Amino acid sequence: MLGVTIKGLTKRYGDVAAVKGLDLLVKPGELVALLGPSGCGKTTTLRLVAGFLKPEQGEIWVGEHCLSSPAAVVPPERRRMAMIFQSYALWPHMTVAQNVAYGLRFNGVTKPDRDRRVKDMLRIVQLEGYGSRYPGELSGGQQQRVAVARALVVEPEILLLDEPLSNLDANLREEMRFEIRRLHETFGITTLYVTHDQAEAMVISDRVAVLEKGRVVQIGTALDLFDQPRTRFVAEFIGKTNLIDGTAESPSTVARGALTLRVASADLTPGAPVVVSIRPHQIELAPGEPASASAPRGENVLTGTMLRASYLGDAVDYQVQLEQSDVVLRVTGPTPPRARAGERVALRIAPAACVPLADSA
Amino acid sequence: MTRMVRSQGLTPRFWRFEAMDRSAPVWVLTAAALGLLILLPLGWLGFMSVSGEGGITLDHYARVFTDLRLQKALWNTVVLAFWSGLAALAIGLPMAWLSARTDLPCKRVIKSLVMASFVTPPFLGAFAWVMLAGPNAGYLNKLYRSLTGAEGALVNIFTMPGLVFVVALYTFPYVYIMIVNTLELIASDLEEAASILGANHLWVALGITLPMVLPAILSGFILAVLQALALFGSPAILALPAGFHTITTQIWALFQYPPRVEMAAAFSVPLLLATALLLLVQKRLLGRRGYAAVGGKGQARRPIPLGFWRYPALLGCLAVLACAVFLPYGILAKAGFSRAWAQPFTWDNFTLANWSFTFLYSSTQAAIVNTLELGILTACVGAGLATLLAYIINRKLIVGHQLLAFLVLAPVVIPGVVLAVALFIAYTRPPFLLYGTLWILFVAYLTKEMPVGYSQSDATFRGIQPELEEAGRILGAGRLRVLYEITAPLARSGIIATWCFIFIGVIRELSASIILFTPNTKVISVVIFDLKEEGQFGAIAVLGLFMLVMTFATVVLMQTLLGRDVLGSRQSGG
Repeated sequence: MLGVTIKGLTKRYGDVAAVKGLDLLVKPGELVALLGPSGCGKTTTLRLVAGFLKPEQGEIWVGEHCLSSPAAVVPPERRRMAMIFQSYALWPHMTVAQNVAYGLRFNGVTKPDRDRRVKDMLRIVQLEGYGSRYPGELSGGQQQRVAVARALVVEPEILLLDEPLSNLDANLREEMRFEIRRLHETFGITTLYVTHDQAEAMVISDRVAVLEKGRVVQIGTALDLFDQPRTRFVAEFIGKTNLIDGTAESPSTVARGALTLRVASADLTPGAPVVVSIRPHQIELAPGEPASASAPRGENVLTGTMLRASYLGDAVDYQVQLEQSDVVLRVTGPTPPRARAGERVALRIAPAACVPLADSA
Repeated sequence: MTRMVRSQGLTPRFWRFEAMDRSAPVWVLTAAALGLLILLPLGWLGFMSVSGEGGITLDHYARVFTDLRLQKALWNTVVLAFWSGLAALAIGLPMAWLSARTDLPCKRVIKSLVMASFVTPPFLGAFAWVMLAGPNAGYLNKLYRSLTGAEGALVNIFTMPGLVFVVALYTFPYVYIMIVNTLELIASDLEEAASILGANHLWVALGITLPMVLPAILSGFILAVLQALALFGSPAILALPAGFHTITTQIWALFQYPPRVEMAAAFSVPLLLATALLLLVQKRLLGRRGYAAVGGKGQARRPIPLGFWRYPALLGCLAVLACAVFLPYGILAKAGFSRAWAQPFTWDNFTLANWSFTFLYSSTQAAIVNTLELGILTACVGAGLATLLAYIINRKLIVGHQLLAFLVLAPVVIPGVVLAVALFIAYTRPPFLLYGTLWILFVAYLTKEMPVGYSQSDATFRGIQPELEEAGRILGAGRLRVLYEITAPLARSGIIATWCFIFIGVIRELSASIILFTPNTKVISVVIFDLKEEGQFGAIAVLGLFMLVMTFATVVLMQTLLGRDVLGSRQSGG
């Protein structure tokens, strides 16, 4: 298995740079999701890796070979990659078996071998017996599986997926997420997966690269991104969060008005503006008056008034107006609801859950 | 880490095959072709219009605008174009609305008949109407006289209103198609909202639907006007005997012996500018897409129930189509099989002599052969060129593809007569002495039909997503293999449709042929015109019917083999 290295990749369309100095390292056998809102450059990056586009700057290496650079681009048919498109791009004038067998024809695979491999692959994607049907006769989910089969049967070095689940309905999408993850674990192909759906990215991938305006702003496991977001954008894009604008009082505390928070850092510059991100489910809610000024294990203890408690079935969503400041915190807690609107409540937040963001300035 | 990929069997220099390098030969070839087809002739046209005995002169233009006859021709053309555009609108708009929006019975029949009117050469319709409504021998007038005992004629087709009528009959399909296609895109919920609030159907039609289709209506009107401006056959048949000219007949007249080419050139340029201006306006009206975009996905709509008005509406449509199709075709059939076309159709009068006369007559045979040769050649070359260009432009394979698209569509601006004059001037002198051969006709037809061919090819490739080709490439197929195995099979029916459109356009062409022909290079339409001078209506009818049979055979071929019809909508699946 080979890895993919992208260095300083830049692609411009007229005056606009869709990809701007993008760096990314994909380890052999890893599945990295390219996650971001529309226009962030994730599809352009994928197409650059596939060889459909030529970069203005930067290089794309697969293993020890440079496949794309401003000087030359190895054409797509020579890159030993496979791609699954958002629209599946199945050829309507060929049967399912012919679609899946297409890539095998250029690898010197004999016909009996081809047929066998196609059959095996159709079985793996649970489309056994569908070989002689035409794509037009299949449902969306079935077409998607044909696209997957077509890509995997050629045993590519690199697999590229461009939002393959976007055209499916919600239930099917969830099911297919696990399918794709299962297939990745079976075959272990180095994979780049483009999506705008963060839940999908977090379920499917080994690591998630969050893209904003043409570059990678943070890459890490789902846990890393969730617990330690580095920028405002990442904090807001991945899951829900509370953002508090304050000023560093000491190397490890941030203040806003009468509110002081111990945060997950010890090298803040006193006086500098800091934005703190706190995930709603990492705030513990206790109704009634707080115990006296004791702060067990250095936790932050805050008080406030409940504005609203929304019962969501599997969780409760609270909005609490803090006493110490103008801040309204969103809290997610387990059922049953622990307080009602209008009641005084106490909140407990561990310093590790208060993450100062790098782009606070 | 090693640098460039040698182990994968290729060298970096070979793969520096960028867009820029690929485009150079294409550009050179296309530029040369378009230069030859368009720029050179138009350049000569402009030059001729200002060249006189002693060098550059504006005398010719001065004469154009001061000569009384020529002024009258200009005025007549404006009157004709405006009124026939309006008439085409008056016919096409209600029919389109009825077809697309109401529960009019027999819609498919109506649509097919409109299509029949669309492919009928207007000059053939004009001939037929001479036989129907000529003041002396016209069938309708004779019927009128025998029924009422009156002396005079009910209608005289040899008048401006007569000409407007005939022109409108064969230009209203343009309006119809444009509006039907637009109406089919509009979701009906906007109209239903009005209905719920209490508006009756007429109010809805006028107050809601009409404003939404206004761009399409105006655009259809302009299209009809453009067609009317460029027509030669109908004015030549109906206006000349009535003693008035239009610009196109005047230009033709200037070519009759002795040819006054400079005057013809000077007369052509204003016509060209007028057409260009109208097209610019039309394009503005419709925006980039070339049709009135009103949004909506064309979902199922509730057709408006006409109730009591169902059959009157149907009768109205059929009356129009009777004038455009049934009556003319009928009289042509009668004339084709009669000894004397003006006499009643009795067994005595029946004869097949017209057919044998026409087809055994050597110059007719030559003309038929010429027409078929030119039709097939132009269709093959045109379809090939159009397909290649549409692919290159759609996939953005070269730099400046938008300019290329514009150039390919440019000939639509040039009326047939003007094109013929320009080609005449350019190719009756070295280095390309094409006049007198079939090649000059080929060049004229190719230039004239390229826009139609390209539009169809463009639509074909728009329907084939680039991802289908990319999927092939990433799996290992090179560009050419993808073209052959993936793109070509999917584009096949579109390419055949392009061929058919061009073929139909060529066999019925008159306005350019009438100027560029020579005794050895006549085509069917020109022979028909000759026969008019001799009053040989029987032979005209035979040739006309033959032309119609060829046209309809091609249309039927397209419909059955490819599942699409001339009006541009797919038949199966809606």
